[in-house]
Amino acid sequence: MIKKILPYSTLALALTAASGASVAASDDQYKATDKPLEMTIHMHVGNKYAWDEEWPVAKEYEKYTGIKLKGVASKIGTNSQELFNLMLVSGNLPDFVGGNALKDSFFQYGMEGAFLPLNDLIEQYAPNIKAFFEQYPDKKKAITAPDGNIYHIAYFPDGQAARAYYIRQDWLDKLGLEQPQTVDELYTVLKAFRDQDPNGNGKKDEVPAFFRHWEEMIRLVTLWDARTTGMDSAHQFYIKDKTTAQHGYVEENYRTGIRNLAKWYKEGLIDQEVFTRGSKARDYLLSNNLGGMTHDWFASTAGYNDSLKDRVPGFEWIPMAPPATPSGVRIEENGRATVKPDGWALTYSNRDPIASIKYMDFIFTEKGRNIANFGVEGVHWTMVDGKATYTDEVLNADTAVNTQMRNVGAQIPLGYPQDYNYEKQWTNEIAAKGIEMYTDNNYIIEQFNGVAMTVAERLVYDKYWPGILTYMLEAQQRWILGSADVDEEWDGYIARINKLGYDKVIKVYQAAYDRQYK
Amino acid sequence: MSPLPSLLGRIKENWQVYVLLAPMVIWFILFLYAPMGGLQIAFKDFSLFRGISGSAWVGFEHFRTLFEDENFLRAVKNTFIISFYGLIFGFPIPIMVALMFNEIHHYIFKRVSQTIAYLPHFISVVIVAGLVISFLSPTTGILNLVLESLGFDKIYFLTNPDYFRTIFISSNIWKEAGFNSIVYLAAIASVNPSLYESAKVDGATRFQMMYKITLPTILPTILIMLIISIGNMVEVGFEYIILLYQPSTFETADVISTYIYRVGLQGSQYDVATAAGLFNAVVAFVLVYTANWLSRKYSSSSLW
Repeated sequence: MIKKILPYSTLALALTAASGASVAASDDQYKATDKPLEMTIHMHVGNKYAWDEEWPVAKEYEKYTGIKLKGVASKIGTNSQELFNLMLVSGNLPDFVGGNALKDSFFQYGMEGAFLPLNDLIEQYAPNIKAFFEQYPDKKKAITAPDGNIYHIAYFPDGQAARAYYIRQDWLDKLGLEQPQTVDELYTVLKAFRDQDPNGNGKKDEVPAFFRHWEEMIRLVTLWDARTTGMDSAHQFYIKDKTTAQHGYVEENYRTGIRNLAKWYKEGLIDQEVFTRGSKARDYLLSNNLGGMTHDWFASTAGYNDSLKDRVPGFEWIPMAPPATPSGVRIEENGRATVKPDGWALTYSNRDPIASIKYMDFIFTEKGRNIANFGVEGVHWTMVDGKATYTDEVLNADTAVNTQMRNVGAQIPLGYPQDYNYEKQWTNEIAAKGIEMYTDNNYIIEQFNGVAMTVAERLVYDKYWPGILTYMLEAQQRWILGSADVDEEWDGYIARINKLGYDKVIKVYQAAYDRQYK
Repeated sequence: MSPLPSLLGRIKENWQVYVLLAPMVIWFILFLYAPMGGLQIAFKDFSLFRGISGSAWVGFEHFRTLFEDENFLRAVKNTFIISFYGLIFGFPIPIMVALMFNEIHHYIFKRVSQTIAYLPHFISVVIVAGLVISFLSPTTGILNLVLESLGFDKIYFLTNPDYFRTIFISSNIWKEAGFNSIVYLAAIASVNPSLYESAKVDGATRFQMMYKITLPTILPTILIMLIISIGNMVEVGFEYIILLYQPSTFETADVISTYIYRVGLQGSQYDVATAAGLFNAVVAFVLVYTANWLSRKYSSSSLW
């Protein structure tokens, strides 16, 4: 009975308390509205699921803020982008719009008037978001549109580590080798993997270096001081020396890297089927005791130590530090984005922008952040030594923790600051040690969050860039496969890229960068 | 002579027939004619939020963008080459398959082999692409193992632009030839049996009967199918190509539809994608019109 009465009593308190003024320890301080309010949200994520007001986490938000967000996106839909487009063209916009990979849409349609500029609302009604932006000015810049307005609150991931170099330590031990510390030593190790039969089956069937995505093989050029991308998606621009927009594929170091990779490929150090083997490469080559090293996600790659321990005797598959480049640095190019192109925005037809921004702001309070990250307090987690800690039921369940969280509405790409501690609690020990090594030694390069272009800049970019990138990738594969030689073709390659309009693209990219981040 | 009954009168009289016709007409109006209004976004700077009427006109800007792009021109060229080869090699095979099935007289064997020939049609292209990839794999693929045992070097087929068209077209033939033979089998079934009987009496061989009776009787069907295929020449199935191609094979594999997918839809450039689609449709229209005109001129069968 008491349980039933409690919400009503808090509601009554909310009704009587002067709005926002109360700083009492009661839950009222989070109220976004004087009287309960129901609003609508269109949010379809990753072609998989839609916002559900029945999620325990959504109900928690409702309990604290007084706002019920009702999901209007199709719960059976399987194409998020299409659903977003349909919602937009229908002209019938809900109060909130959210989802993944929507950054450019938020910028473009925000400037056209579909979404509300949030700057003043944040200034006046969202002290927690404001404090967050003051603490991380670059994150604020990353979500600022070309007209200087903020139209959406993004999903801000936490933690740095993403992918790492993994190697068969047991193979190294068997051949009496040390972990390679430089790119030259790596070359020697891979040759030993190829020639000295580390799997001991008498056949020369080892695949020294393999990759699930050929883009990760190309990323090996970073071992020769080159760059392939600036952010967590492949083939993007990067910012050189924090000032100049640049693409890795036009640099001299890239040429050196490709020359060496072509040699490695020709000598059979790189999987001969790297371009077509695809996502099953890791499963197949590890479980058949054939693969020697890779570059892949920390957590999922470490998992093979458990799943293969019976099948491959002595299997020891661990993260190693990035081998040093000729100039002597250790680089891990791939890290986690600090700002994802996901999040949520308020539409121009929002019925109560002030209450809405307060709702958004709640997720940036300590309480709201814990709910968004860990789920419902007392059910999924409890406070232990001042830190949100998962209950044993969550940690020991058969379903992965991130899946469990998503099923209750936590860890979804709405505008919230992620807490890496959420993941740390259930990360595989081998991966955790590797992550510590990578972060403590600052191997991971700071990730760039991309630029927001004006309509005019976007036109130039869209007109020239796809053609240039297509040409770059064609040349790249040609060189790796050995059907052409990078040194013979290089001058013509650079000339062609310039002819295709590279300077025009770099100019608008630089202009957008300067406006946004300087 | 009584005047022609009015349209309404005719509908009243034969309403059952019109009821049967209605779903198809409605389908055409809803899904093919109504969306044509959307083609205007090919001439606009289209924004989803502003909508079709709210977006500004830009004339032929998007077409200019397309035709200045060498990759688009290459895609047009590749589309025609792949379709042309596909037509030359792929078109006759279902006819041959149908003729061969027709010659099988053992009932069970005929049914079984027909079913086996139809089966690949029902396999999703994703699976077919997986089959092709492992079949052609340089380390464990059957084809390369055979090449190796014969003393040849192994070949990484799927990264070599010279092989792409052959792989694409032949696997497509394998997938569709059996199913496409159904329409010819139906045509063959309608040949008057008395023709064969009298030919037999005259001492014709089976090959002569096939050549002199079966083929000429199904010729109208063949021509109609040919016109339709020519109309579909610009439509190369893009899912299958996307599953098989690599940057290193773009040179021969990138077709209009994959170009639209890569540049237009992935980059959310709906207006440019529509312009490319419109270009596609105009070319298809010209092709099918020409083919029909030729067919009507030189034979008695035509689509209209």
